[in-house]
Amino acid sequence: MSSMTAPPETDIVARAVDATKIYGAGETEVTALDHVTVEFPAGRFTAIMGPSGSGKSTLMHCLAGLDSLTAGRVLLGEVELGSLSDKQLTVLRRERIGFVFQSFNLVPTLTALENITLPMDLAGRKPDAGWLDSVIKTVGLGDRLKHRPSELSGGQQQRVAVARALASRPQVIFADEPTGNLDSRAGAEILEFMARAVADLGQTIVMVTHDPVAAGYADTALFLADGQIVDTMADPTPEKVLDRLKGLGG
Amino acid sequence: MLRVTLKNFWGHKRRLVGTSLAVILGIAFLSGTLVLSDTMRHSFATLFTQTTQGTDAVVRSSTKIQARGDNVRPPIDESLLAKVRAVPGVQKAIPRIQGLGQIVGRDGKTLGGNGPPTFAGNWLGDKDLDSYHLVAGRAPAADEEVVIDKRSADQGHLAVGSTTQVLTPEPVKVRVVGIAKFASLDNQGGVTFAGFTFHGAQKHVLKRTGKISEILVKGAGGIAQPDLVRRIHAALPTSTETITGKQLNQELQDNVGKAFLNAFTTFLTVFAGISLVVATFSIYNTFSILVAQRSRESALLRAVGASRAQILGSTLAETLAVGLISSLLGFLGGLGVATGLRALFSSFGAQLPGSGLTLKPSVLITSIVVGLLVTVVAGFFPALRAARIPPIAALRDIAIDRSASSRVRLVLGSVLTGAGLVLVITAVIGKGGSYLLQRVGLGAFLLLVGVIVLGPVMAKPAASVLGAPIARLRGITGRLARQNALRNPKRTAGTAAALMVGVAVVTLFTVFASSIKASVNHSVDRTFGGDLVVGPNTRFGPSQGISPKIAAEVSRLPQVSAAVGIGGGLAHVVDKDVFVSVADPLATSRVLNLDVRQGDLARLQPTGMAISKKLADDRSWTVGTKLPVTFPDGAKVTQTVQVIYKSADLAGDYMLPLQAWAPHAPQATDFAVLINLKKGVSIDAARPAVERISNRYPGTKVQDRKQFTDSFAQGINQTLILIYVMLALAVIIALMGIANTLSLSVYERTREIGLLRAVGETRRQTRSMVRWEAILIAVFGTVGGLGLGTFLGWSLVTANSNSSNGLTTFAAPVGGLAGILIVGGLVGVLAAIRPARRAAKLDILRAVAAE
Ligand SMILES: Nc1ncnc2c1ncn2[C@@H]1O[C@H](COP(=O)(O)OP(=O)(O)OP(=O)(O)O)[C@@H](O)[C@H]1O
Ligand SMILES: [Mg+2]
Repeated sequence: MSSMTAPPETDIVARAVDATKIYGAGETEVTALDHVTVEFPAGRFTAIMGPSGSGKSTLMHCLAGLDSLTAGRVLLGEVELGSLSDKQLTVLRRERIGFVFQSFNLVPTLTALENITLPMDLAGRKPDAGWLDSVIKTVGLGDRLKHRPSELSGGQQQRVAVARALASRPQVIFADEPTGNLDSRAGAEILEFMARAVADLGQTIVMVTHDPVAAGYADTALFLADGQIVDTMADPTPEKVLDRLKGLGG
Repeated sequence: MLRVTLKNFWGHKRRLVGTSLAVILGIAFLSGTLVLSDTMRHSFATLFTQTTQGTDAVVRSSTKIQARGDNVRPPIDESLLAKVRAVPGVQKAIPRIQGLGQIVGRDGKTLGGNGPPTFAGNWLGDKDLDSYHLVAGRAPAADEEVVIDKRSADQGHLAVGSTTQVLTPEPVKVRVVGIAKFASLDNQGGVTFAGFTFHGAQKHVLKRTGKISEILVKGAGGIAQPDLVRRIHAALPTSTETITGKQLNQELQDNVGKAFLNAFTTFLTVFAGISLVVATFSIYNTFSILVAQRSRESALLRAVGASRAQILGSTLAETLAVGLISSLLGFLGGLGVATGLRALFSSFGAQLPGSGLTLKPSVLITSIVVGLLVTVVAGFFPALRAARIPPIAALRDIAIDRSASSRVRLVLGSVLTGAGLVLVITAVIGKGGSYLLQRVGLGAFLLLVGVIVLGPVMAKPAASVLGAPIARLRGITGRLARQNALRNPKRTAGTAAALMVGVAVVTLFTVFASSIKASVNHSVDRTFGGDLVVGPNTRFGPSQGISPKIAAEVSRLPQVSAAVGIGGGLAHVVDKDVFVSVADPLATSRVLNLDVRQGDLARLQPTGMAISKKLADDRSWTVGTKLPVTFPDGAKVTQTVQVIYKSADLAGDYMLPLQAWAPHAPQATDFAVLINLKKGVSIDAARPAVERISNRYPGTKVQDRKQFTDSFAQGINQTLILIYVMLALAVIIALMGIANTLSLSVYERTREIGLLRAVGETRRQTRSMVRWEAILIAVFGTVGGLGLGTFLGWSLVTANSNSSNGLTTFAAPVGGLAGILIVGGLVGVLAAIRPARRAAKLDILRAVAAE
């Protein structure tokens, strides 16, 4: 994996080229991704939008090396994920990717702090103390670090998840409906952290959502329908996004 | 509701298989034991029916001395034969002489003696009264000619015309002139037999003329056995008794039943019981987890209108189904177990008549009842818990983990444990008293229950402590493993309890065995300061003994200062049949230190007797007390107590001078000859001389003191290995219990494992996490079992040492216990193999997306 250390020629962090994903076979065949080609530039906050079943999660899973494509390629930096073994993918995930899921983001037996440092612990790496401090401060969890997930509110749990994703300084963070389970206020907080991480820390974030308000925090919005990218929108606002989505029939 | 039950059953069949296996194995063991003992009982019945076939009546002495599962009858006068023959209705009466005699094989090693007796006597050669019949050669015609059984001939590579020896116990040079089969078998169920002429048997076996062991009678046609017996009895003195052939058959069967089959069956049943207890824990645990995992479903059923009774019924029906199916499968497995054990037996030379197994319906019923009982008892509480789930739980995300350390549990557990400890310790320390064993037993039971009740409370601290080094050593995987073991203390404790019970029993036996060894060493050290020992060359237990002539010969060696042959036998003393030691008093006093408290052992007279201090105290006998003694030959004499000794480990409670015993016990043997060398003579210098003598007596060997004590240890080790093999089953069942629990836990934590994998846990780390959790649970159970077993071992040993049983020293073998701990950890590793693999293989996406 020597290419990992090589500086990227472009500032494209992740991309899919002609990505196709087909579930099942014969009668039950579903084309979740249909020749998708897309690039995610570094230091940007991208929202993937689209109606339910349009392939948003599938695209994200494939980009993150959690799932494999039926055809096409996915690259993280210069590394092609399709060529990696499970072990290499695992290492790649914990070294270079951060995750925020919609729910069940945290290991219930670990404290908030342990959850945040989990990827680094798994790698046997010491977290950078200064960075960790600033991340924790950013997400505002100072007094909750010793608590278990079951003792935290849903919003706090998602903040811990974001902190975990940020803590290992990944090249890219993938978030699948990170605010889907939260009320609008808690959701807004999380989205603000993410936006700030991009703006202040230069983090790259790819977020799947079907909430136009959430998409409003992003720099770019991609629209997916029936497994194809149908539109791209720079500096989305909730109103614009809502309009576009209406057009897609979502 | 039934449909729901069935659906549940099928839906979880994979997990239920793990549960069932525990019951299947336990029941297989139990039913195998029962079938085997029925089969053996039947075989022995057939064997003895063959033995007594054609015999209508038997005349023998009415005196019988019986102790230690053995019995002897004095011989009767040969002259009675004529009287019996004169009784009307007697068609035929022949004398029988029976005693002990070991046949020596071509290689100079003795044959048989591994359980069934080694007989020598007269060759009857009567087609009506003898079940042996010649298959080669002829009947003996001279004093030193013998017929031997076919198996001995085969094993010893002896043929018609071979010369060899029969030890009676003096070696008698004989020529094999015939080979006989017993009915259709090569020998009589493992018994070796050497048949002399009538005169030869009197000379070599009975060592008396004019005497015989018994008379076998065949009645004239048409006379009933009881009538025949009545007529014969009327014609004979009261010193004889006459029984029917049928009674003799029954008596022989009862003897084997008492001496061997019952002990054998009890032995196996105990281990089957332990396995089933362990199985109960495993089942309880599985059902608890299933119920917990299904709690939403149960709540939903309740919400849509199912009653508590219906939920309870449904869950119980499921346990019943598991119990029924497993019991039936277990029963079938038991047939395999019985067949295997039977084959094992005949490969040891214990050939029994008949083939196939004896199947009684009662065994099938027992298997099913026990299997059902075990599963239903184990499944009842989880079922009750399922029924208690409120409908509201369907709407709420209730946590599966419920606090285990309730105050009730803590108090109840502590009280039970405390009561158990107090009962055991006071019973043991308090110098016995009445109902000693009952008190220890009750205490042990309370202790076990208390520890199991406390289990979940202790699981948390125990897992933290035991897990600390793992967390330190293995980093995050170790920490996760520890947390997982901690997260559901009830489950951890329940899983560990199964192993704990098994390990406790293993530990108990280990501690007990090492205490016996230590006690033997101790008592040999204390009583025998000598250098060399000549003993029997058998591997299993005591053989028939060695010739008393060896002691005499060894004493005459110039290197030897003193040698004493210790023997013994059964005698009737005052009002009891007892075992008495026999030795030459002067030699004993010079070789053994019996810690004599009164009298002088060296001057014990032929009319005297030595007894232990404990016996003297118990019976209030003192020096000068006259004790009426009946010897094995029927002679009644009075011996006077002249010596009282303290150390009864080697000598037992009664000791008779050889000079008093020998005339009345023609086949007397020594168990061992203990030798003191002269000052300045080294063991190496003396050993060849002693060995030259030993070599002339087949079946004997020379040992130094260490080898002598070690040979006791060897015997104990062999028994211990056998016990370990039996207990392995319980440990395997516990192992499957751990595996099952882990599988369920992994299934339950699908999302969590998926998350871990997503954020960077490798497959290897995932496996390691599950493995360490298993090891933690296993070690927790093992440590508990070690503690419990050691404590109970200590209390048993101490209780026994108070009641003076030769068990004087408590010894906990550190190496052995450490070995058990390691095996416990290995059980964890093995149990984790499958669940760990499954956890590592989990599809991350499915896990993350689950539900
Ligand atoms: N494991 C699978 N097996 C079969 N079909 C699948 C699988 N996962 C997803 N699909 C199908 O692929 C398509 C895309 O699914 P995907 O989960 O990517 O949609 P989505 O855009 O994330 O929808 P939502 O907004 O509801 O989360 C859907 O039609 C879905 O039914
Ligand atoms: Mg989705």
